[in-house]
Amino acid sequence: MTAEGPRPEPGGPATVPAAGSPVPHPSPGTAPGTAADGEWLRVHPASPFVRGWVALAAIGFFVGRDVFERALQGRPILEDEFAGRAPFLLAGGAVMLLIAVLGFILTWYFTKYQVSGGYVRVNTGFIFRQQRQARLDRVQAIDIVQPLLARIFGLAELKFEVADAGESAVRLAYLKMDDARQLRATILARAAGVTLDPSRPEEPAPEAPEFPVLSVPPSRLVGSLLLSEQSVIVVLGAAASVFLTAVTGNAAFYFYLIPAALGLAASYWGLFNKGYNFTAAISPDGIRLRYGLLDTQAQTLPPGRIQALKVSQPPLWRALGWYRIQVNVAGYGIIESAGEGSGRTTLLPVGRLDDVMSILALVLPDPGTPQPAVVFGAGLHGLDSDGGFVTTPRCARLLAPLGWRRNGFTATDTALLIRSGRWWRELVVVPHQRTQSMALHQGPLARRFGVADLLLHTTVGPVTPRLRQADVGEAMALFDEQSARARLARKRQTTEQWLRQVAPGVETATQPAETKPAETPVPTQEGPQHG
Amino acid sequence: MHTEAIDPPGIIWQRVSPKYVTVRLVQWALGNLITVLLLSLPLVLVLLDVWAWPPLWLAITVPSVAFVLAIWRLVLIPRQVRAIGYAERDDDLLVRTGIFFQRTMAVPYGRMQYVDIGVGPVERGLGLCTLKLHTASPGTNAQIPGLPAEEGARLREQLAARGEARLAGL
Repeated sequence: MTAEGPRPEPGGPATVPAAGSPVPHPSPGTAPGTAADGEWLRVHPASPFVRGWVALAAIGFFVGRDVFERALQGRPILEDEFAGRAPFLLAGGAVMLLIAVLGFILTWYFTKYQVSGGYVRVNTGFIFRQQRQARLDRVQAIDIVQPLLARIFGLAELKFEVADAGESAVRLAYLKMDDARQLRATILARAAGVTLDPSRPEEPAPEAPEFPVLSVPPSRLVGSLLLSEQSVIVVLGAAASVFLTAVTGNAAFYFYLIPAALGLAASYWGLFNKGYNFTAAISPDGIRLRYGLLDTQAQTLPPGRIQALKVSQPPLWRALGWYRIQVNVAGYGIIESAGEGSGRTTLLPVGRLDDVMSILALVLPDPGTPQPAVVFGAGLHGLDSDGGFVTTPRCARLLAPLGWRRNGFTATDTALLIRSGRWWRELVVVPHQRTQSMALHQGPLARRFGVADLLLHTTVGPVTPRLRQADVGEAMALFDEQSARARLARKRQTTEQWLRQVAPGVETATQPAETKPAETPVPTQEGPQHG
Repeated sequence: MHTEAIDPPGIIWQRVSPKYVTVRLVQWALGNLITVLLLSLPLVLVLLDVWAWPPLWLAITVPSVAFVLAIWRLVLIPRQVRAIGYAERDDDLLVRTGIFFQRTMAVPYGRMQYVDIGVGPVERGLGLCTLKLHTASPGTNAQIPGLPAEEGARLREQLAARGEARLAGL
C-alpha cells in the first residue's frame, strides 16, 4: 500500500479524509474531508509507511548492499550452502514483511479522529488502545509539520498543543496537506468561538485570511549563523589548534577534530534548514509562522497565547542591528530545545529593528503607551531612564558594574518590560494578564545594597522574566502594582474564545466574502479587552 | 516576628506551627549527621593506620568544617521556621520564607491550577501537613510546610473556593 490514494473502507461508515476523493457520501453538499459533526475520520493510509520508512529503508539497504557487493565481486548472490535453504529464508523474510505491513495497516485502521462538541478526540492503538480528547478552546498552538518524505507525498502532520508543557496533546500524522489546513481552520474557528451558519452545517469553516508581515532573507540567516556565538567558539577553537600545532609540531590531533567538524556542520545545517525562508503573517486566528528548507513547518499561535517574549541581541549582531525573538507558549515547553529543535519557540530567528517592532505589534496589539517606538526602543538599546525605565540605583552599581544602567523595568498599560544586559542585550515583555505568580527575592548582599530581584513566573520556555537589582522601594511598589494590574487584566479577559471577546467581530467571521475588510483590525480591536 | 524589608507593609503574617521545628530537626539529623559521619570515616581510618593518604590535618579539617556548617544550619532552623509565613489577601496568597535569602511570593487565586497536601511520617506523628500550590508555571514553587492538619484542610478548601470564584485561563 502506498500513497496512490485513499479508498473507502469496506465495513465502516468512516471515510478517508481526502479532498476530491471519489468516496460516495450520503449528503451531496459535503466536501469530503470536512467532517460533519461527530464523524470519525482516519489519517491518510500512506502515513504508517511515511513514518516507518526508516525501518523499511534500513532493511532494503542491508539486503541491497549485500547483493550489490556480491554481484560486484562476481560471486553468486547466495552461497551454495544457503542456496538450498533459500526458500525458507525468503519465506521468513516475506512473513516478517507481512507482519510489518499488517502492523502498519492495523495502526492506520485503528487511528481515528473526530472534531465535535468543542473537543478533538483521537483514538490510537489496537492492543493498547488510547483515547485522547482535548478541549478546543484550550488550544495553545496548532502546527502543521511536513518532514521531507511527507512533503514529497503531499502529506502533513497536524499538532494540537494544550498547556501541558511538553508532549503534543494531539498529533495527527499524516493527513493530506489540504485536509490538514482545513482541519486547522475548523479547529481554530471552533476554538475562536465562530458560530457556523446553522442552515449550512456542512459548510467547511473558512480559512482565515492572512497578511504577510515580514520574511527573513536567506542572506541574513546565513549572516546570523556566521555571527553566532557558536562561530566565535569555532574560530577560537581553530586558532587554538593552529597554535598548538605550531608549538608542539604534532599535526596528528587534527584527525580528532573531524567528528567535531562534522557535528558543527550538522548543527549549522540544522539551523539553516530550520530558519530558511522564515515568514510571519497575521490572521484573525493569530500569528502564522512558516519556515524550513527541506522539512517545513507552519505554526499558528492564536491571540493571547504568548506568555512571555524575549528580544535579545548578542554583541556580534549589534553592528548589523539584528535581533532575535523567543517566546514562551504553554504547549511548547522546553523539551523542544532538545527534541524538535528550538525553532518552535523562536518567533523571529533574526530581524532588524522594524521587524522586531512589527512582531511586538502582533504579540501586543495594544502597546498600552502612546509612544511605543520610544518605550520599546529604549528597552532594546536604551540606557538609564530613557523611555521611562527605572534602573538599578547608582549605589548598587558594584553588584552589576556593567549592567546597572541597563537593568531596569517599565510598565505600560498592557505589559511589563524588563530590560537587561549591556553586551548581551535583552528585553523581556510579559503581558499583564499572563503573569502566573511572582516573587521578590533578596539575598544578604542585595540587602546590604538595598536592592531586590523580582521574578515573574510564566509557563515553561526559553524566557525567564527576572528583574535584577531593582531598588527595594521600587521593587516592592512594582510587586503591589503588578498584582493589581494582573488582577485587572484577568478580569477583563472573560473567555478563551478569542473572537467572542469582541462582540461585533463574531458575525463577520462566518462569511468568507466579508472576512477580509472586517477582520483585519480584529487584533487591534482586541487589544483593550485582552491585552 | 518583625516584618523584613521586602515584605509588603501592613501584612499580618500567619505563622506555621512551632512543632515544625521538630520535622526540620529530623531532616537535619538525617542529612547532616550522616554526611559528617561519612566524612569522618577517613579520619578514623587514618588514625587506625589503615589509610596512608589523607594527611591528618586534611582528615580532621574536612569533617570539622562539615560539622561546623551542620551546627550552623541547626542553629538557624528555629529562626527559619519562624520566618515562614503566609497571608490570605483578597486576590492572592502571600507566602514568605527565608532570613538570609528572603523570598516573598504572591500567588493569585485565579492562577492556581491545583492544591496539594502532603504529609510525611514525622509530620503525621505531629499532626502537621505541607500545602503546595501549583500554577501553570513550574517557577511557582510555593509551599507552606508545618501547617496543623485542620488548618491545612481549611486553607485548601478556602483556596479551592476562592480559586473557583476567580478562575482565569492561562
